[in-house]
Amino acid sequence: MMPLWFGVAPFALAYAVLARDTGLSIVETQALSLLVFAGSAQVSAVGLFGRGASGLEVVLTTFLLNVRHVLYGMSLGRVVPMTRRERLLGAYLLTDEAYGVSVARGARSFPFVLGTEVSLFLVWNAMTLVGSLVGGVIPDPERLGVDFVFPVAFLALLVPLLRQRIDVVVAVVAGVTAWLLAKWLPGGVPVLGAGASGALLGAWLTR
Amino acid sequence: MSFWLTCSGMVAVTFGSRLAGLLVRMRLPPFWLRFLHFVPIAVFAALVTPSLEGSRGEGGIRVTAAALAAVVAWRTRNLAVTIAVGLATFWLLRLF
Repeated sequence: MMPLWFGVAPFALAYAVLARDTGLSIVETQALSLLVFAGSAQVSAVGLFGRGASGLEVVLTTFLLNVRHVLYGMSLGRVVPMTRRERLLGAYLLTDEAYGVSVARGARSFPFVLGTEVSLFLVWNAMTLVGSLVGGVIPDPERLGVDFVFPVAFLALLVPLLRQRIDVVVAVVAGVTAWLLAKWLPGGVPVLGAGASGALLGAWLTR
Repeated sequence: MSFWLTCSGMVAVTFGSRLAGLLVRMRLPPFWLRFLHFVPIAVFAALVTPSLEGSRGEGGIRVTAAALAAVVAWRTRNLAVTIAVGLATFWLLRLF
């Protein structure tokens, strides 16, 4: 678990600093970590807020990013017996990392899954708070070029996912499409459009 | 839409997705399984490019710093190190 906490902590810090730079209050920044608890979706939402995206566009992008959790639930539900109440709690705290650890360690009991999930939840929220406080005192974030953290953070998330040539093709096509669309369309449409069409292209090319 | 309405929507689609897999017994067609594999790749790439150039005429050094950060991400697979190298390169290039 330790390496995972070290991975999650800087991500939460980066999220909170970016959220504060985009104009979210400390309460709003923390609320997303407490209630949504989905790192990549939270950073994407903050990036979209910064582009002036509408709430609907942010919610649709969140859905596009998080619908993969359906797969984790299906996989976990098969190997770990849970009561209905445990399913509700387990679902609320389910993340890529908790799923990955539970499967890798061959979790067969709900307490193991829950312990993993809760520890990640605590680290994520504590580091969100730290990032919020730090982000609030950075002088003149505009001049420092804090907004440059966005493309770099998403590059850092993207690059490790590129395992096969087809992954690179999808990334390049989606990246170029979003870049072109962003010249004409405001808000979250370029990200949604390029994201959905890029994923469709990948699924179609690998048929 | 206000922040809190957006936040509620995000909670609904996120919690809904997480719960659906645990509650509903179903099988996804292979096409949609592959679609889900490519979603984060396509969305993250689509979030990189529009914010790459920035709005202060620093496109050249931002793209250079991002390229170096991408190499670091590829070699280390470490988020913190990647962001640190990207930002440090950006600030260094700015000085000249």
